[in-house]
Parts: sequence; structure tokens; C-alpha cells
Amino acid sequence: MNIFGVMDVSGSALKAERVRAEVVASNMANAETTRTPEGGPYQRHHVVFEAQGGGTFQESMANQLGGGSSVGAGSGFKNIYTGGISGGLSGDLTAANPTPGGVEVTGVIADASKPLERYDPSHPDAGADGFVAYPDINPLTEMVDLMGATRSYGMNASAITAEKSIFNSSLDLLK
Amino acid sequence: MQTTTAMGDALGRYLDLTSQQMQGTARNMANVDTPGFKTQGFDFEEVFAQQLNDGAGAAGLEGVQAPMQDVDGLVARPDGNNVSMDREGLQLAKAQMQFKLGTQLLKGEFATVMSAIHMDSK
Repeated sequence: MNIFGVMDVSGSALKAERVRAEVVASNMANAETTRTPEGGPYQRHHVVFEAQGGGTFQESMANQLGGGSSVGAGSGFKNIYTGGISGGLSGDLTAANPTPGGVEVTGVIADASKPLERYDPSHPDAGADGFVAYPDINPLTEMVDLMGATRSYGMNASAITAEKSIFNSSLDLLK
Repeated sequence: MQTTTAMGDALGRYLDLTSQQMQGTARNMANVDTPGFKTQGFDFEEVFAQQLNDGAGAAGLEGVQAPMQDVDGLVARPDGNNVSMDREGLQLAKAQMQFKLGTQLLKGEFATVMSAIHMDSK
């Protein structure tokens, strides 16, 4: 972990929230989709976020004070910053190089809920009984999810701004 | 008489690499809508350590271009473009901060030399 470490963590969250917003948009766009390449109506999609080996401030601090040496498992400490204070000078926010303490989207999964059956015999995809299978997508749920993603994105963007001002304050010490 | 320092040389390299990183980021951002464009970059730490080990003086900075490679692990869009605006925005912010740090430290280096020059007037 270095002076830019916090930025990488917030940046991984920005990436993840953007994917979340994209998936919500896709859900809303396909709220009435009755045909998919897999057959049947569109299934609602969810993103799966996974924390990348985080740790509390206290743990990292204790670890750093211990010279950043590897702390044995079971002693209550997780050594997520191997090599102590000299982390990579610039993490690159790619899946190939996950940020410790950050978040990654590990997958997009389809909801297994049953489709909604609506009676519409004139619809080309109607079954023999005249019912059409529509995706079970509630615009309200999706909008709430989208707002959540937007707010989280803004929150992490603010965290980056804060990190920049912290950095500028530390530069003021040089003057 | 020597007014250049090892620190000054190292900072020169640091700033040079940082501006190259900025150029690369700007290039990636400019091509955010180019179909098939792949994000390019270089490992700052690795290239910086390598340049420090080369040991050439500040004159050796002339025209040293960090090797640009394709960045892997990014999600490609259907048009084959894999530029992530979040990643590039963050890279730009980091490069700005690095530049600030470098210039501040360099300022300190020069201040030392200046104080030696003005020694008699104090």
C-alpha cells in the first residue's frame, strides 16, 4: 500500500458500480423481452461483487508497524499488503491485477425466478393456452438499484477527491 | 562544480515517466469510441527502476520512451474496444499527483542550490 493505494481501492469500486448500472440498464431495456438466444423470456441479471482480501485499518496499521512482515494466520491479522509499505507504484485497476482491499465484479448471474404469465393470444410468442411468458422485472426495483449504483459511484468519487486533498496537504509539509 | 544531484536526476526521470503516462492515458481516453482499440500502458514502477539502474545522466533522458504494451484484464465491449473511463480518469488523477510530488521535491533540490548561491548575501 502506498500513497495512491486508497485511490486504487475507490477506483475498483467506481468500476464495479458502473458495471452494476449497466446491468440495471440492461434489465430495464429487456423488461418486455420474450425471446432470447437461450430460448424463453429474458431473465433478470444480478451483479456479484466480491471483496478483494480486505482488512481493517487497525490490522493494516499493526501490520505496517511490524515492518510489514508476514503475520502468521491465526494471530488475528491478515497480511494483505505483502511487502509492507512498498506496494506497486500504480495499480492498474484490471481484473488481471485486483486491488487488495478493493472490490471486483466476479460475475453477472441470471435470476432464477419464474417468468410472469400474461394472457395475450395475439402475441407471436403466446403458448397454446394464449399465455405469454414475460420477464419478472419490476421497474421500481430496478430504479432503486440504479439510484443505489449512482449514489455509490458518487460516494466513491468523493472519496477520491478527499484522497487528492489529503495528498495535497502532505505536499504542503514539504514547503 | 557540481550543481546536479542524483536526486535531481532521479526526479527528472520520475517526471518524464509521469508525463509519458499522462500521454498514454490521454491517448486511451481519446480512443474511447474507436472500435477495436486496445488500452495501452506500461508498468511505471518497473520502467522507473530500470531507468534508475541504467545510470545514464540526466542527458540520457533524451528520447527514452517507455515501452507501451496492451493492458490485459479489461472487459472488452462488443466493438472490441476495452477502454475503461474509470481506470483512465484515475490514472490521470494519479499522474497529476505524481507530477505535483515530483515538482515539489525538485523545487526543494533547487532551493538547496540557490541557498548556496546566496550564501554571501545572508
